[in-house]
Amino acid sequence: MPDLNIDFTVNGRKVARKVDPSRRLLDLLRDDLTLTGTKEGCGAGECGTCSVFVDGKLVKSCLMPAAKAQGADIETVEGLAAPGELTPVQRAFHKTGASQCGFCIPGMVMAATSALRENPNAGIEEIKERMGGNICRCTGYTKIFEAVEIARDVIAGKLPQTALNQDGAASSFIGHNTRRLDAPSKVSGRLKYAGDMDMQGMLHMQVLRSPHAHARIVKIDTSRAEALPGVHCVITSEDVPGTDGFGVFVHDQPIMARGKVRHVGEAVAAVAADTVRIAREATRLIEVEYEELPGLYDPEDALKEGAPVIHDYAADNVVKHIPVRKGDIEKGFAEADIILTDDFSTQQVEHAYLEPEAGIAYVDHDDVVTVISPSQNITHHRHMLSHIIDKPINKVRFIMSPVGGGFGGKEDMIYQGMLALAAMKTHRPIKLVFTREESFIASAKRHPSRTHYKMGLTRDGRITAIEFSMLSDGGAYGMSSEGVMRKAAILSCGPYEIHNLKVDTRVVYTNNTPSGAFRTFGGMQAQFATESMMDMAAEKLGLDPFEIRRRNMMKAGSLTHTQQKLNSASIGTVLEAAEKACRWESGAPTVRGETRGDLGGPDTRQPCTLGARFAEAATQIEKAKVAS
Amino acid sequence: MLTCDTYLMPTTLKDALQVWADAPEGSRLVAGATDILPWARDGRAGDVHLPCMVDITRVSELQGYEVQGDRVRLNANMVFQQFLEDETLIRLLPNMPYCAAWFADDQIRQQATLVGNIVNASPAGDGLPPVLTLNGEIELARLQDGAVVTRRLPVADFVTGPGRTELDAGEIATAVYVDAMEGYGGSFQKVGMRRSLVISAVCCAALVRTDASGKVFEDIRLSIGGIGPRPIRLHDIEEMLRGQEMTRELVAQASLKPAELVASRSRVEYRRAVTSGFVEAAIEDALVALGAPKPEPEQRETLNA
Amino acid sequence: MKRKLKGRGVAASWYGIARTATIDRAGAWAELDDGGTAKVVTGVTEIGEGILTLLSQVAAEELGVRPEQVTIGDNDTARSPEAAHAGATRQTYMIGNSVALACREARSRLFDEMSKVWDVPVDDLRSFDGFLWAENTNKRITMEEAVDTCKKRGVVPVGSGSFTAHGTGLDPVDGTGSPWQAYVFGTQVAEVEVDTITGEVQVLGIWAAHDVGRAINPRGVEGQIEGGVVQGLGQALMEDYQTQDGHAVTHGFAKYILPTSLDVPQINSIVVEDPDPLSPLGAKGIGEPALVPTAPAVMNAIYDAIGVRIRDLPATPEKVLAALQEKRREAQTAA
Repeated sequence: MPDLNIDFTVNGRKVARKVDPSRRLLDLLRDDLTLTGTKEGCGAGECGTCSVFVDGKLVKSCLMPAAKAQGADIETVEGLAAPGELTPVQRAFHKTGASQCGFCIPGMVMAATSALRENPNAGIEEIKERMGGNICRCTGYTKIFEAVEIARDVIAGKLPQTALNQDGAASSFIGHNTRRLDAPSKVSGRLKYAGDMDMQGMLHMQVLRSPHAHARIVKIDTSRAEALPGVHCVITSEDVPGTDGFGVFVHDQPIMARGKVRHVGEAVAAVAADTVRIAREATRLIEVEYEELPGLYDPEDALKEGAPVIHDYAADNVVKHIPVRKGDIEKGFAEADIILTDDFSTQQVEHAYLEPEAGIAYVDHDDVVTVISPSQNITHHRHMLSHIIDKPINKVRFIMSPVGGGFGGKEDMIYQGMLALAAMKTHRPIKLVFTREESFIASAKRHPSRTHYKMGLTRDGRITAIEFSMLSDGGAYGMSSEGVMRKAAILSCGPYEIHNLKVDTRVVYTNNTPSGAFRTFGGMQAQFATESMMDMAAEKLGLDPFEIRRRNMMKAGSLTHTQQKLNSASIGTVLEAAEKACRWESGAPTVRGETRGDLGGPDTRQPCTLGARFAEAATQIEKAKVAS
Repeated sequence: MLTCDTYLMPTTLKDALQVWADAPEGSRLVAGATDILPWARDGRAGDVHLPCMVDITRVSELQGYEVQGDRVRLNANMVFQQFLEDETLIRLLPNMPYCAAWFADDQIRQQATLVGNIVNASPAGDGLPPVLTLNGEIELARLQDGAVVTRRLPVADFVTGPGRTELDAGEIATAVYVDAMEGYGGSFQKVGMRRSLVISAVCCAALVRTDASGKVFEDIRLSIGGIGPRPIRLHDIEEMLRGQEMTRELVAQASLKPAELVASRSRVEYRRAVTSGFVEAAIEDALVALGAPKPEPEQRETLNA
Repeated sequence: MKRKLKGRGVAASWYGIARTATIDRAGAWAELDDGGTAKVVTGVTEIGEGILTLLSQVAAEELGVRPEQVTIGDNDTARSPEAAHAGATRQTYMIGNSVALACREARSRLFDEMSKVWDVPVDDLRSFDGFLWAENTNKRITMEEAVDTCKKRGVVPVGSGSFTAHGTGLDPVDGTGSPWQAYVFGTQVAEVEVDTITGEVQVLGIWAAHDVGRAINPRGVEGQIEGGVVQGLGQALMEDYQTQDGHAVTHGFAKYILPTSLDVPQINSIVVEDPDPLSPLGAKGIGEPALVPTAPAVMNAIYDAIGVRIRDLPATPEKVLAALQEKRREAQTAA
């Protein structure tokens, strides 16, 4: 390919590079200049982890062909402050705890810096608008807003520099707002995530993924891919030396498809090559012959007689059924004055951590197969990998790199096995970084659920019985499904003491993207149904929503749904705390929004109407007119 | 992944037209390039290889804008952020800043061009409805016997369907001419799945001028996007209102009409429901921009409810 | 009918701490190091929740040094004791307590030596913020001097800790069992504004009261609540991973819609402390529980505002508007 000569300035230094004309500014910064503070979260301009200044204007470097940098003055997060120093914006982020996983933070710092450069007096609404192109998945943005406002006021001299310091010393470090130790490295872009790491002689992996939801693999021919110059190895399930299979509860997933594929995006083969581009080209040369099989896409269908079987070990497609029984529900419903039944459903949800999956594997001088990755469970991963590659535990080593957001989505060992195999086959370090699209189709999601609910209550709002039945779509592999169903069942009926209940949670295999661990592990899906029912019951009975919850809440000595005796239960305290804090106006939930007196308080925000800065600019123009 | 063999950045229009005319088949012309990179990814076009990319952002003739009497020539490299920041444009194109505020985000607006948005011809493209209300005319240039020749046609005719335009091979869209509308109130309504960096389900642009009394619609221009294969101007509603006394009843009556026009392939019911409310809200907001008092929340009612 | 209507809703929740229905365990090593610094080794690193900072606070408190003097490593199965997974709202509870126990052992090695040097009862020794002293005496030295003294006597002040949470499995037939030894409870109130033209819901305020046992880093707790609330809000209103015959329809961030800075309510965190009696720190956890009540609180608030009950998440503008129109039609039919 013809090269492109580019001369430009980065962080005040002149740079000349000869690059592939296909490169983006992001690639130029990260790969050619090792300025890895600029991250790639999506590659499509949708997340802002790659924001940099080009001639003073903030842009998304993943949307900018490198050629456009010709003659430009580029400023990256590394250039904001001298090494070892931090700008007021960065110090404010440190102060407020605005960085959590930190992966979005270099981009956030850039967006905040841009907002304050564009308008040093920007109000919070304008700041929010100006930062609207940067996604954060951890912080809920709140501490970020706080940081930008503090930085603005310090820069403007309205707050002293000391406003950026850590809160004063305490008599104890427990309960103290100690600033995050990892924040300086995150706000300055210095922290290396797995995708930022580099090793001598490192090769790059790309993965061939299934285009089918359910198909038998008739044949895989890797010869053309292996013949491509620059390719070092192609691996398939044939290369697994030990007992293939991983999973959090049941080891039903091979590290690459074995015999058949069970979901779109399942890894089928992987290539290690000198560059990502060669590896990607090689994946297209792998010939896979598939024989499509009937697929299952609805969990109800999975339970039908004669449904296609996804895994031979589970002929009924049931991954797990968790029953919980307490008391006598027939008696309970007989005692009820009213009985409510309803159905609820929740959707499949993506973790959307800003850091896509990434890792490096190598075989060290002691023949230890080592995998560096943002794994949420290195202990379990090394157990599984030792079986898969047939090595003793002490010859398998997992290093947990800084995790750029996990939320449960990085508990599954969906790529580390491929990296280990390729490293063993080539004795070279191998790196794999998922694209955002790969992360979407290959990683587990929050279980979508359907819940049928029946609740009996007395006229005074006491729950006499609950029947709760949830069906979840586990997708193609078991992953954390069993545990998710267990937690959903245990927590199902909420923080209430229910004397009679019958709870069933079931999860089935389908050919959809797998579901797995996701923050709350089934607890959210179950309690969404319960808490909706509580309000519906409160309306029917004319009770205040807090009151109906108090009448049923667990107390010290209560028996939980699984009949565990509680030593204490703080539900009464938290109900009261929330009720007081929000100045709740009591009353039954009978669509009384219009008549409430507790709305729009100082502890709420203004509704967002776009154009805050335009409105301000217009006001300034008006003022200027008046002045002239 | 987008790959290409050559990436060219001509600096004059003539050079640009020459390299574009000479570019191998399958080459692409780019300005901001904010659409092409996301397009060449899995789930959309997948990996794409182009023989050549011709980037027009360094073409000197295509920078900036020029006020020409009651028209404004917006050159092809005008990016959306300029409509939010340039005081002259804010004054002359009163609905463009509101459109720009809703368009993508602050960063993409630094690169994405209005003309590029028009040429992409997305049914939900945010830039099209305001340009239609501004009687936009696109200028297309090509080389003929070594000389630059141009033609102009109304944007309403230029965009023929989703992603389809009257742009011919070898042509480059060099500018869009729009009406200077000083004294009009402008507004832009949009709904998507959130409020930043999001594709419109429906969007609606308005320009309104009242008479000296402030009680009569002296002029009104409305257009709507996201409801069919291409954004459209609502001429018949404008006719209903132009010269009429501004009453809530009249606006409500007029607002009911565009629901009939919804011809999208998906979410039809939703789009119909939103459309009427949007026309009314667009008129109301444009009046507010003209200095009418902001209706109190209590007054701001949907009349078709 | 007004265009924009507001309402409020509440939802309560509960959650268990650490791994479910099983014995959970974690180990840690600690060393009081030269210069009065400290080293803590655990098999975990930061996933963003603030665990490294929290562990440095715990170690500092237990050893008598400052958090910034603590070095935490090393998230490596070949170099550190088992910490197991970074999930299940178990980091503070499991790793925090194992680090506290390891530090106590290291400290007791140092204190044993110093009590001999000073000839004072070991129970009279205290250390905090870089100093060690004996109560009711004028004996007071820096931790640097203390470590030096201890080492010169031939003792390296090291310790290890293992912490156990005793959950029991569930009966396979009736589900009885004690899955966790620590529970937390939470309540959230949401205030929303619904646009009756577009069906858009804006969440304007969230009040989130959560029992965390003991807030080791209150800002960190708030950060977890704020992040959990916004993830809950995303699930409540916009996020939806969709497939068609197994093929992803929402294959990237252009179609999979996440909350941005413009979608975030003012979040008012109320931290409640009901300490856990079964662990050295008394802290429980907040990572996952913060998300649980958000979506139902928002749905209950939407109902309060417009009388529409959304049973199928997410409550997209389209779904809300369709439900509202259905309700209007029903009202007209009834009338």
